[in-house]
Amino acid sequence: MSAVDSPAGRFRPGWRPALARPGGRQLAHAGLGLAGLGLLLLLWWAGTDLLAAEGSFARRFSPERALPALAGLAAGPGLWLHIMASLRRVLVGLGFALAIGVPLGLLVGVSRRAAALTTPAFQFLRMVSPLSWMPVAVLVFGVGDMPIYFLLAAVAVWPVMLNTSAGVQQLNPHWLQLSQSLAATRSETLLHVVLPGVLGQVLTGLRLAIGISWVVLVPCEMLGVQAGLGYFILDTRDRLAYEELAAVILVIGVIGYALDSAARLAIRRFAAGE
Amino acid sequence: MTSPLPNEDFLFSRRDMLRLSALLGAGAALPFAGARAARAQEADAPVRIGYLPITDATPLLVAHGRGLFEAEGLRVEPPVRFRGWSQIVEAFLAGQVNVVHLLSPITVWARFNGGTPAKVVAWNHTGGSGLTVAGDIDDVAGLGGRVVAIPHWYSIHNVVLQKLLRENGLGIAAPGAAPGADEVALVLMAPADMVPALAAGQIAGYIVAEPFNAAAEVHGVGKVLRFTGDVWKDHACCTVFMHEDDLTGRPEWSQKVVNAMVRAQLWTRDNRAGTARLLSAEDPRQYTPHSPEILARVLDPAPADHDAYVASGAIRHPEWLSQRIDFQPYPFPSYTGELVRQLKETRVEGDRAFLDTLDPEFAAGDLVDDSFVRRAVEAVGGLAAFGLPDAWTREELVQA
Repeated sequence: MSAVDSPAGRFRPGWRPALARPGGRQLAHAGLGLAGLGLLLLLWWAGTDLLAAEGSFARRFSPERALPALAGLAAGPGLWLHIMASLRRVLVGLGFALAIGVPLGLLVGVSRRAAALTTPAFQFLRMVSPLSWMPVAVLVFGVGDMPIYFLLAAVAVWPVMLNTSAGVQQLNPHWLQLSQSLAATRSETLLHVVLPGVLGQVLTGLRLAIGISWVVLVPCEMLGVQAGLGYFILDTRDRLAYEELAAVILVIGVIGYALDSAARLAIRRFAAGE
Repeated sequence: MTSPLPNEDFLFSRRDMLRLSALLGAGAALPFAGARAARAQEADAPVRIGYLPITDATPLLVAHGRGLFEAEGLRVEPPVRFRGWSQIVEAFLAGQVNVVHLLSPITVWARFNGGTPAKVVAWNHTGGSGLTVAGDIDDVAGLGGRVVAIPHWYSIHNVVLQKLLRENGLGIAAPGAAPGADEVALVLMAPADMVPALAAGQIAGYIVAEPFNAAAEVHGVGKVLRFTGDVWKDHACCTVFMHEDDLTGRPEWSQKVVNAMVRAQLWTRDNRAGTARLLSAEDPRQYTPHSPEILARVLDPAPADHDAYVASGAIRHPEWLSQRIDFQPYPFPSYTGELVRQLKETRVEGDRAFLDTLDPEFAAGDLVDDSFVRRAVEAVGGLAAFGLPDAWTREELVQA
């Protein structure tokens, strides 16, 4: 799931997106991307309007219904409130994940003992769906935003931490030797060598964390909150308002794509100087 | 249990069941009990309602919406909406909410299997559920060899459905097995998924709370085969569950909560159309996402509906004069006893050994504390105010 699994780490070619390429190819790739989206739209339409039986519920998901529903939702205030609520939760969760994951990742990356001590436990915890923690979250954090922050942080912290520690381990040893030979203090080494060196990996971890946070948001918003895109999806199900459900799926996808693009841009901008 | 559906649902799934089982198991309940104790130190906690967006929540939401808790001098927080029985039970056990509506069999299970220190203080509503089936099914016997969805193993819906099936010579298929011709396979499903599953032909019917039967009618995907209130006269579906700490530690507060709830039921009886509007998505408080039309079909049905249901056989006991959903708060002990007796004959998944040793009369006395609701009912003119004979006992009528 992350760069840690690959020895090439942050130098995986896929992480240098089309934007980095010269103009002509960039345009061609953008065109291909649009064609892919068009194909997706066509498949969607075929699935709901051609393959689904007349009068079946699947027809309510049709783009011909979803797009007007989306326009209707966008005209009212409700959808925007839901978007803001969900974005706030994801950003707070990511903030916690960074605050916990980066120091932990540095520690595990620097100390072989810390790595040996924690790796099995972290690998174990990482594989547990955060939704299994729901009862614990309610017990400890009550109902409302707090348990959702916890669940989102619990899912986002692993990619951040594991990528950070992988970044530390992949640091060019010559840099560390150089800083030692220049008699840098530990904090100077950390601030001026290690942190800039792992930034790219941290951002890659953050990018993975954004993806997975956004994915688990919908079930997390079942926990006694009064707004959010996940909450709204559950509402549309209760009302059998599937055209609105499809519209919200579009919104979730677009926002997720935008967040991922921002993360990619940040990776390109800040990790370029490695 | 094999499900013909990809049952990824978090609401009423098998996983949900396992989670609740674990939760209510003696060991797992301990940390929750600890949290409760910590919460209980908040001696002056406001009324915190937990609810699901179904008509079962009506009295609690009306009491909040009409300001009836404040009228009793109580502080109240906006009701917290949950999406499944597991979540509402978890939040209740953790002390995050202190007044909830729960399916009556869940309260039996919670108290006698999990040892939850909480009691039923009143009934929430009576009736309010139905068995909805596909258009090609004309009687209960027609469900043989088919799949029927239920919302929870410990639900009045499961109890009534299995009673109906037994009376019609149908058994329950073993978990994981395909149903024989004289069997029905049961599958747990979230109410919101039942309507599309019926429309897609993956199930032959479902038994669930309103407004999901009305939704099938409005969307033209099924018809009501029977109303549960026509099988078990004036049965309770959801009951109001409160912590024993609150009942013993601050009885005046508890009394006021029950007073408000009882007054809400009285108001609902006289303002059915208003209730449908108050609970709908058109009210700014957004208590539920449902349209006023669908809610009105349940809460304020046209008189012609009743005649049509009598003609179709959905109502076989018109002389019972049952409403599609009705409201009266008094928890008749005979009902709780009968419920336990019926549960003993009902197939449920998970550890059900406690049912075998549970004495129905003991359960009725131990699970329910009717002292608050009696005072509240007397204060508004006795049971006559709810259209009932002035007696604290009744006979249970269960007729398939």
